[in-house]
Amino acid sequence: MNVYEVAITEPFQKFYEKVIQFLPSFLTSMFILIVGFVLGFLLKGLLSRFFRVIGLDRVSERSGVIELLKKGGVTEPFSSLLSRVIGWITIVIFAGISMSALQIPTVERLLERFLLYLPNIFVAGLILLFGYLLGNFFGRAALIASVNAGVRFSNLIGKSVKYLILILSATMALEQLGIGKGTIVIAFAIIFGGIVLALAVSFGLGGRDLAKEYLEKKVRCEEKKDEISHL
Amino acid sequence: MANSVFRKDVQTRIDEIREADILVGIPSYNNAGTIGHVVRAVQAGFAKYFPDKKCVLVNSDGGSTDGTMDIVRNTAIEDFQSVLLHHRVSPLFKLTMPYHGIPGKGSAFRAIFEIADALNVKACAVVDSDLRSITPEWIELLLKPVLEGGFDYVAPLYHRHKYDGTITNSIVYPLTRALYGKRIRQPIGGDFGFSGRLAKFYLTKDVWETDVARFGIDIWMTTTAIANGFKICQSFLGAKIHDPKDPGADLSAMLFQVASSTFDLMETYTHVWRGINASGPVPAFGFQYAVGLEPVSVNLDRMLERFRLGVRELRGIWKEFLPPGTIAFLDKAGDLKKEEFNMPEEVWVEIMYSFATAAHKKIMNREHLLKSLTPLYIGRTASFVIETWSSDAREVEEKIERLCRVFEEKKVFLLERWD
Repeated sequence: MNVYEVAITEPFQKFYEKVIQFLPSFLTSMFILIVGFVLGFLLKGLLSRFFRVIGLDRVSERSGVIELLKKGGVTEPFSSLLSRVIGWITIVIFAGISMSALQIPTVERLLERFLLYLPNIFVAGLILLFGYLLGNFFGRAALIASVNAGVRFSNLIGKSVKYLILILSATMALEQLGIGKGTIVIAFAIIFGGIVLALAVSFGLGGRDLAKEYLEKKVRCEEKKDEISHL
Repeated sequence: MANSVFRKDVQTRIDEIREADILVGIPSYNNAGTIGHVVRAVQAGFAKYFPDKKCVLVNSDGGSTDGTMDIVRNTAIEDFQSVLLHHRVSPLFKLTMPYHGIPGKGSAFRAIFEIADALNVKACAVVDSDLRSITPEWIELLLKPVLEGGFDYVAPLYHRHKYDGTITNSIVYPLTRALYGKRIRQPIGGDFGFSGRLAKFYLTKDVWETDVARFGIDIWMTTTAIANGFKICQSFLGAKIHDPKDPGADLSAMLFQVASSTFDLMETYTHVWRGINASGPVPAFGFQYAVGLEPVSVNLDRMLERFRLGVRELRGIWKEFLPPGTIAFLDKAGDLKKEEFNMPEEVWVEIMYSFATAAHKKIMNREHLLKSLTPLYIGRTASFVIETWSSDAREVEEKIERLCRVFEEKKVFLLERWD
C-alpha cells in the first residue's frame, strides 16, 4: 500500500461509499419532502373550495370568529385561512418524516425531542387563543357595564380587564412551555400585587376628596334622582 | 311546556277546587306595602261583577321576605256594602304559593298559567302587585271582553304620566305596531286579560329558561297572541299609578330583557311581520276619562351626561353595525349643549332597526350588543323630555304617534338589512 493510496484514494473511496450509502436515504427524504409540498398545496386548494361550498365563511361570521380575526388584523376569509393552515401543517409533517428518513442520529434525536415538545406548544397556543377571546369578551363587558353605571374612566376599566387577562394567559402559556417557570409566576404576582397596591394607594390619597364628595352626596341625597319608570 | 310540579299543599288545594270560571293572578316579590290593596280590589271585582262565577285568586310569589304572602292570605273585604254589594253568591278561592324556576315575573306567570290550565278556567287576568290605582272595575274590564265578547287577549289602556313607561313609548309600542300592524298602546302594560284557551297555548311554548321568564314576559304574551291570530282588544283602565318597578333591577338589565325578548320574537315570527306594511286600530272598551297624575322628577343633566359618556366610550362598538350617517350624528350630538340637544325620530328608528338587525346577524355577544343600547336609549329619552317639557297629554300622544309613523315608514330599512 503506497502513500498515495492511503492519503488520497482511501478517504475518497470511503467518502464515495458513504455517499452511495446515504444517497438512497437522501433521495427518499427529498421525495417525501416534495410529496409533502405537492400534497400540502393540493390540499390547500381543494379544502379552500370545499370550505367555501359548505358555507364555512358564513358560519364563522355568525359565530364571531371573523370578528376575532379582524381584531387580530387578519382580513383573509376564514375558509382560505383554515385551508392554508392545514396545507402548511401537512408540509411540516412531511418535512419531519423526510428528515427522519435521512437516518442521522442527531437529527432523529432532535426530531424526537421536538415531537415530544409539540403538545406543549399546542396547549400554550390554545391558552393564548382562549386568553385573547376571554380578554376581549370581559374587557368589552366591563366597558359596557361601567358606561351604564356612569363611570367616567370606563375605557380604562375595560382595557385593564382585557390586558390583565391577556397577561395572565401569556404567563400561563410561558409556564406551559417551561420558559422561566418559577420566575414568570413570581414576576406576575409581583406586578399584579404592585398594580393593586398602586391603585389602592392612588385611590386612597388622590381620590380622598372625590370619595368624600361622593359619600356626602349619597348620604345627604343631594343628587337629584330620576323618577322615570321605564317599563 | 307545562312541566312544573306543584307543591303538595297547592296540588291538594287545586284538587279541592277542581274547576273554576275565572282566575286572577298576582305575581309578587316583596310587595307588602301595596299587595293588600290589589287583593282587596280583585276580591271586590269578583264580588261586584262576577257574583255567580267560581273565582280563584292566585298569588305567585318570588320568595318575598317582607310577609307579602301572609298579607295575601289574611286580606279580606269585611264590609261588602262599601262596594255596594249585599252578599256574594259563589265562594272565592285563594291560592298563595312560591313559584319555581328563574326568579322573575315570567316564572310567576308560568305558575299562574299552569293553575289556570289545571282548573280549566274560562277567563284569566294578571295584575301587578305594585299597583296603587287598581279598582274593582279593572277586573271587569279585563275579564268581560273574554267571557262575553269572545276575545282571547285583553291589553290594558291607561293614562300614564308622559315620562312613565318610556321603554313602551319609544321602543315597544312603535316597534310592535310597525312589525305586526296592531295598534296596541300598552303591549307591556303588565295587567292583561286572556282566555283559558290562550293560557293553554302559552304553556305549549318552551321559553321559560329565556328572558321571557323575567321582564320579557309582557311583550312575549302580547306578540304571541297577535302573531298566532288570537282575537285581541284593549280595555281602558284609567290611571296607572304604581310603585317603582323592582328597585334592585337596573335600567340596562330591564332594557336588555325587554329588547332581547322583542328581538327573539322577531326571529320567531319573521314570516308574520315581513309582509305587514301598515297598522290598524284594535277594538277598545271602557269609558275614557281624564285623570290627574303624580308629577315625575327628571334629572336631564345626568341623562345627557350618560349619553355623552356612551358616545365617547362605546362608539367603537356601535360603528360595527350603525349606519355611518348615524355615527356622524352621534358624534355631533355628543358635543351639543342641553338647550340644543335633539335626537330626531328618524335617527332613533334607524338605531333601533340597526340593533335588531345586528342581533339577528349575531355580529357580537347579544348581551353586550343590547346593553350597549342603554346610553342611546337614555339620549332618546332625554330628547323626548326636552321636546315635551311643556306639552300636555294630547300633544305627547301626537308626538308618540309621529314616532310610530316613522317606524312604519322606515320598515323597508329593516327589511333591506334583515336578509
